[in-house]
Amino acid sequence: MSFKKQLEQRLPHWVEQGWVSADSATRILQDTAAGERHGPRYVALAFSLLGVILIGSGVITFFAANWAAMPKLLKLGVLFSALWGSYVLAGVFERRQLPLLATAMLLLGVILFGSNIMLIAQIYHISAHYPDGVLVWALGGVLTGWLLRSQPAMVAGLGLGVLWTGLESHGFGREVHWPFLLFLAVSVWPVVQLRWRIALHMALAGLLLWSGFAFVAMSGWDYRDSAAIYLVQVYFLAYLALFLAGMLLQGRHGAQALAHTLQRYAAFAALGSLYLLTFPDLLRHARHAHLAWWLVTLAALLLVVALAAWHYRRTAGVMRPPFLNWGLGLLAAALLLLLVNLAAERHLAALLALLFNLLYFAGLLWLLRAAVHLEHRALVNMAFFFFAITLLARYFDTFWSLMDRSLFFMGGGLLLLGGGYWLERQRRRLTQQIAGQREGGA
Amino acid sequence: MTLSGRLLVIVLIQTLVLAGMIAKCQWTLASGTPVVLKTQPIDPRSLFRGDYVTFNYEISRLKLNELEGEDEFRRHDTIYVVLKPGEPYWRAHAVYRAPPPGQLALRGTVQYVADYWWNPQTGASEAMPHINVRYGIEDYFVPEGEGRVLERPVAGEEISLRVAVDRFGNGAIQALLINGVERYRETLF
Repeated sequence: MSFKKQLEQRLPHWVEQGWVSADSATRILQDTAAGERHGPRYVALAFSLLGVILIGSGVITFFAANWAAMPKLLKLGVLFSALWGSYVLAGVFERRQLPLLATAMLLLGVILFGSNIMLIAQIYHISAHYPDGVLVWALGGVLTGWLLRSQPAMVAGLGLGVLWTGLESHGFGREVHWPFLLFLAVSVWPVVQLRWRIALHMALAGLLLWSGFAFVAMSGWDYRDSAAIYLVQVYFLAYLALFLAGMLLQGRHGAQALAHTLQRYAAFAALGSLYLLTFPDLLRHARHAHLAWWLVTLAALLLVVALAAWHYRRTAGVMRPPFLNWGLGLLAAALLLLLVNLAAERHLAALLALLFNLLYFAGLLWLLRAAVHLEHRALVNMAFFFFAITLLARYFDTFWSLMDRSLFFMGGGLLLLGGGYWLERQRRRLTQQIAGQREGGA
Repeated sequence: MTLSGRLLVIVLIQTLVLAGMIAKCQWTLASGTPVVLKTQPIDPRSLFRGDYVTFNYEISRLKLNELEGEDEFRRHDTIYVVLKPGEPYWRAHAVYRAPPPGQLALRGTVQYVADYWWNPQTGASEAMPHINVRYGIEDYFVPEGEGRVLERPVAGEEISLRVAVDRFGNGAIQALLINGVERYRETLF
């Protein structure tokens, strides 16, 4: 239902209650109708961006066709003129109150900056470590986004940053590409300040991708095969800390959407890490804790405790919903179990796996409760997704060797059908509850 | 800061970055010592940008026990390869991690380190500690369609490159030579 139709339905009630005068109601409807006549902004933005991409492609193919025939100085003149021209046009459009075209020109400027880096490298036969060129391009995008308040330019800059770390991690076999975290920290600061949700999605997706690259590199380190266990624990704690940061952000005025985005990615990675710890096969590796792992794990533990304490202090003066206290208990149990797991003997793997499974399912229940309280539908869906895959994993672990194959598959099928139906009903019930809460609060 | 001011900052920074790339190359080309390096074109590619040829220099693979300097290197190390004139090509003389004072050295990055290598003459693997190095002068862009010609030189043709090496170890390609005769030459602007 469109915003105008919703208003048409609700305004008479608001007028009846005396919250809005009849005159104001008419003006609100007129203003909304005028806004809708201009069409949705995103269509215009999509067309502008498409136009920019076509212009960029045209410029590059023009060069490709005529490159050899152009003298070096002319090539450089064309490159610089195109770059300057796009920024000048951005300024002109902004002054003429055409913000979409201005945004499109800024994005064109970012694209041309990158193509100029590549083409100058071609003119001078520069072939040294090309990810550096991608980094410079990414920084150009981030700087443009930040200084000129352009989210598309920032998203482009962040996307290029992700490409940079991908090239460094895979194309050049760097073990762990730490500089990406510095790039991300610098870029995310203006993203949070300016409340840019799409850019935050890009930054967090980049962080998850980098975590995957780093995990592959670090789990192969020669601290024998226990490196993976410690690494998963550190990942769990780090993303738990990020989730807590999202809870803290939730309390800031106007930052709820950003907090939801942050919580979504953090919960996904934290649950994914904890999910790995529910497998006895992983826990069966012998522990050879290098001092560095102890230090890193303790640092991550302290960070989680500090953030939880900060959140507790913030909510101590107000009515604390019960799920927060329940969450503190769960957190204490999780931290204790992680510490025990650092030095546990391998023969305790089955017991540890059982405890991690209990913690994991309790965590999922807590997440569902928190999601309803925070009015976060994505978290509900995520909790059900993890619940379903873990249920299946445990079914395979438990019954694969115990049951006859035909019975196993029939049982699995029934579990999928029955469990899927039940889970979907519960999921719908909770998401409808959240929608109801939102409408009630609106 | 006003909109114009912010736009000016962006334009200035991006222009300075691009101008810096050009200035660095121009400075190396203008002030560097020209050295002629033996090479083999190995990998012409046709991209949308045009053709380019990738060169494998004689100094791209360094046998450590035949060179002076240091012996222990790791992947991604920055190194300085001291070059000495030979007839007709310049050759690697020593290799260090730090720039050697008073000597002409080309800066590169270690791509990999190996203890054995395959000898094409005997067809066998032999113990030979060596490193493979990338200097940033491996790619040479040529007009469309000419990359294939360079890839398959006719019998007796020898391809070499004249490279300018500045005092910081940076290299820039000055000219491509076939049998010692210039085929392509880079000019200042």
